[in-house]
Amino acid sequence: MPLEPFGKSAALSLGVELELQLVNTVDFDLTSSANDLLVLLSRKPFPGTVTPEITQSMIEIATGIQTEHAPLLAELRGMRDTLVAACDRLNIGIAGGGTHPFQRWSEQRVFSRPRFEQISQLYGYLAKQFTVFGQHVHVGCASGDDALFLLHSLSRYVPHFIALSASSPFFQGVDTLFDSARLNSVFAFPLSGRAPFTLSWDDFAHGYFMKMEATGVVKSMKDFYWDIRPKPEFGTIELRVCDTPLTVERAAALACYLQAICRRLLERLEPPPEEDDYLVYTFNRFQACRFGLDGTMVDPRTRESRTIREDILATLRHVEPHGAVLRSLPALEEIERCAARAGNHATHLRGVFAQSRNVQSMVQESTRALRTGPE
Amino acid sequence: MMGVDLIGPLVAWPLMLLAAWTAGEWLFRRWQLPRVCAYGAIGVVLGGAGLSHATSAQPTLGFMANVALALTLFELGYRVNPRWFRHNPWVLIAGLVQALLTFGGVFWVAGQFEVAIDHRLVLAALCVATSPAAVMRVTHELRSAGQVTERLLHLCALNCLLAVLLLKGVVGYWHLETSGELGKAAFNSVYVIALSLVVGAVFGVIAPVLNRLAISSQGTTVTFAILVLLLSGIAQSLHLSPLLAALAFGAIARERRIMLSHAQRNFGALGDVLTVFLFVFVGGLLSWTGLLTSLLLGISVLLARSAVHTLVNLGIAHVSGTTFRKGALTGLALMPMSVFAMLLLEESRLDGFDLAQASLPVFIGLLLLLEVIGPFVTQRALQLAHETHPPEN
Repeated sequence: MPLEPFGKSAALSLGVELELQLVNTVDFDLTSSANDLLVLLSRKPFPGTVTPEITQSMIEIATGIQTEHAPLLAELRGMRDTLVAACDRLNIGIAGGGTHPFQRWSEQRVFSRPRFEQISQLYGYLAKQFTVFGQHVHVGCASGDDALFLLHSLSRYVPHFIALSASSPFFQGVDTLFDSARLNSVFAFPLSGRAPFTLSWDDFAHGYFMKMEATGVVKSMKDFYWDIRPKPEFGTIELRVCDTPLTVERAAALACYLQAICRRLLERLEPPPEEDDYLVYTFNRFQACRFGLDGTMVDPRTRESRTIREDILATLRHVEPHGAVLRSLPALEEIERCAARAGNHATHLRGVFAQSRNVQSMVQESTRALRTGPE
Repeated sequence: MMGVDLIGPLVAWPLMLLAAWTAGEWLFRRWQLPRVCAYGAIGVVLGGAGLSHATSAQPTLGFMANVALALTLFELGYRVNPRWFRHNPWVLIAGLVQALLTFGGVFWVAGQFEVAIDHRLVLAALCVATSPAAVMRVTHELRSAGQVTERLLHLCALNCLLAVLLLKGVVGYWHLETSGELGKAAFNSVYVIALSLVVGAVFGVIAPVLNRLAISSQGTTVTFAILVLLLSGIAQSLHLSPLLAALAFGAIARERRIMLSHAQRNFGALGDVLTVFLFVFVGGLLSWTGLLTSLLLGISVLLARSAVHTLVNLGIAHVSGTTFRKGALTGLALMPMSVFAMLLLEESRLDGFDLAQASLPVFIGLLLLLEVIGPFVTQRALQLAHETHPPEN
C-alpha cells in the first residue's frame, strides 16, 4: 500500500504526546496498573486523550491541536490534574522522567493488544527494555515538501532537545553517566536514527517508502523509529528525541521552543539543508545524550564547536522575535532558565540521589514534581 | 553414655520444614498452587499424626512463630498507604463495615449452632482478621499489582487491626465477667492496645538512626529483621501484642520515609525460612480432636464471612473507582485467616485469657479449612483479576 497523501494541517500548529510512568506508592517501582486507571478515566470525559502503551506500567496522553503556549500549557495541566486525581483514588503514583531508574524490564507486563503482542514477539526483550518514556511533539506543516524541509533543517537542533529534556540518568538501578539513557534503548531498534535525505515528498513517498515497503521490512510509517519522522495522516512532523520531562511546564516549553525554531527556519534565510549536515549528527547526538547541556556540538557548516548550552542560548536570541509573534515568550524564558541556570531534569535527579543515596527517592521526587510543577 | 534421640524435636522440626518447603516448590511448579498451601497442609497432616504436638508446646517455638508473623506485619504496615484512605474513603468505609458485619454475622451463625456466648464472641472477633502471612506471600509469589491487590493488602491490614481491637475488647469483657474488676478489664484492653502501638511507633522513630549506619540493601534488611525480633521480645515480655506493635512499627517506618530495599521484599531467604516454619507450626497446633463436630460450623462461618466480604466490596466497587468484578474478587481474596487468628489466640492465652484454649475446639474446623483453602482462593482471585505477572518460561 503506497503512503497516503500528506494531510492538511495548519502550519506551526502543535500537538504534544507524553508517555508517563505508573509507580506504586510504597517503593516507587513501576506498577502494572494502566488497566485500572483507564477504566476509571473512561467514566468521565478526559481533557485530551489517554491511551495504553506497550507495558501495563505506562500510559500516554496527547493534547489536541494547539497553536499557542498558554492554551497548550492549560490543556497539559488539565490532563495532569485529572490523572493525578484518578491515581490518588487508586493509590497509584504517576511521574515523568525518560526512564524508571531501577525497574527491571523482565518484570513488565505487556498490555494486551494485538500490535503490542506482535511487537513483543518480534523484538523479544528489546520490547520490554523499551519501557522508556518520551515526549513527542508534532508540528503542523503546510505541505509534504515543507515537512521534509523542516525535518532535515531541524537535524542541527536535535541535540538541543535531547539536552534540554534529558531526564533519564539512571537505568536498571545504576547511574549510566548519560543524561538521557533512554535514547540508548531506542538505538537498539533496527529502524532507528535519522530519516533518509530527500527534500521532495514525492521522492520520499513514491521512491524511498515504496522501495522499503517492497522489501517487506516495513508496513507503515509506524515501523520507523526515527528521531524525527513525518506523519502524513496528521500532516505533521514528529520530534521524538525528548525524554518526558518531570513537569508539564517543561514539556510545554520544549514544544513552543520547537515551534519558534520552525517559524524561523520557514523564513528560509539560512542555506537549505543538505546530506552533509548529517556528518556530525551522531556525534552531536551522543554528546547531548551523554553530557546534556555541557556536551559539545559541532556545526556541520562552519565546523566550529561549542557547548550545547551556548548554542541554545545563541538560538534563543535568534528565535525571540518569533516567540513574540507566536506569544510563547514565557516558554522561551523557561528554556533559558533551564539552559542557563537550573539545568535539565537529569541534573536535578542526580542531585536528589546525591543527597539521599537512594534510587527510590528520585522517583518520589518525580511524582512530586509532576504534581506540583517546577520548584 | 548419652542417649541418641533421632526423632526428637531437634531433628523432627528441620525435617518437617524440609518436607514442607520441598512440597511447596513442587506444588507451585507442577500445579501453580500457592506454596503456603503446602506448608499449611504438611503442618496439618503432621500435627494430626501427633508428630508436632510434643514440640509445639515449647515456648521458644511460639516466640519464633510470633517473630515470623511480626516480620510480615511490619512489612504490611510499611506497605499500607494511610493517605489512600483520605483520597478514597470508600476503602476505609468498606473495611469498617465488613468488620462489623463479619463480627455480627459470625456471632449470629455460631448462635445457630448453639455455641456458648463467650466462645461466639471470641470466634466472631477472630473472623474479622485476614491473615497477612498468606496474603503477603501469595501477592509476592504472583508479583501481582492492581486494584484487587491494593485493596486486599489495605483491607488485610485494617482487618488485622480491627480483629486485635475486638479480641482485646472481648478479653476485657471476659475479665470483667470473671473477676468483676473493671480496672483489670480496662487494663487488659486499653493498656495492651495503646502501649503496643506506642512501642511499635517508638521503634519506627529510632530505626532510621540505626539504619543510617547500614545503608546497603543487605544491611537495611538485616537491621529491620533484628529490630522486629527485638520488638517481639519486648512486646512479649511486657505482655503487649507483638503483632500490633509490628504493624505500628511498619506504618511509622513508612511515615518516616525509610526506604526499604527493592530486592529484599519478604525479608529474603530469612523470610522464606520463617514462613515455612510459621505455616507448619500453626498447622501443627491445630489438633484434630473435635474436627468433625466443628466442620459444619466451620463451613457455615466461612461462607458467611466470605459473603460479607464479597457483598461489601461489591457494594463499594463503583463509588471507589473500580469495577464490580474487581470488587467481588477483592472480597473473595480476603479469605485467609488461620495463621493470624491462631497466633492472636495464642497471644491471648499466654496473657491469661483462659477462654482461648477452651474455645479452640469450636473453630478448629474453620481454621483447618482456611489454612489450606484460603491462600488458594486468594491466588485464584488475583489470577481472575488479571493482576498477576505471567510466570517466566
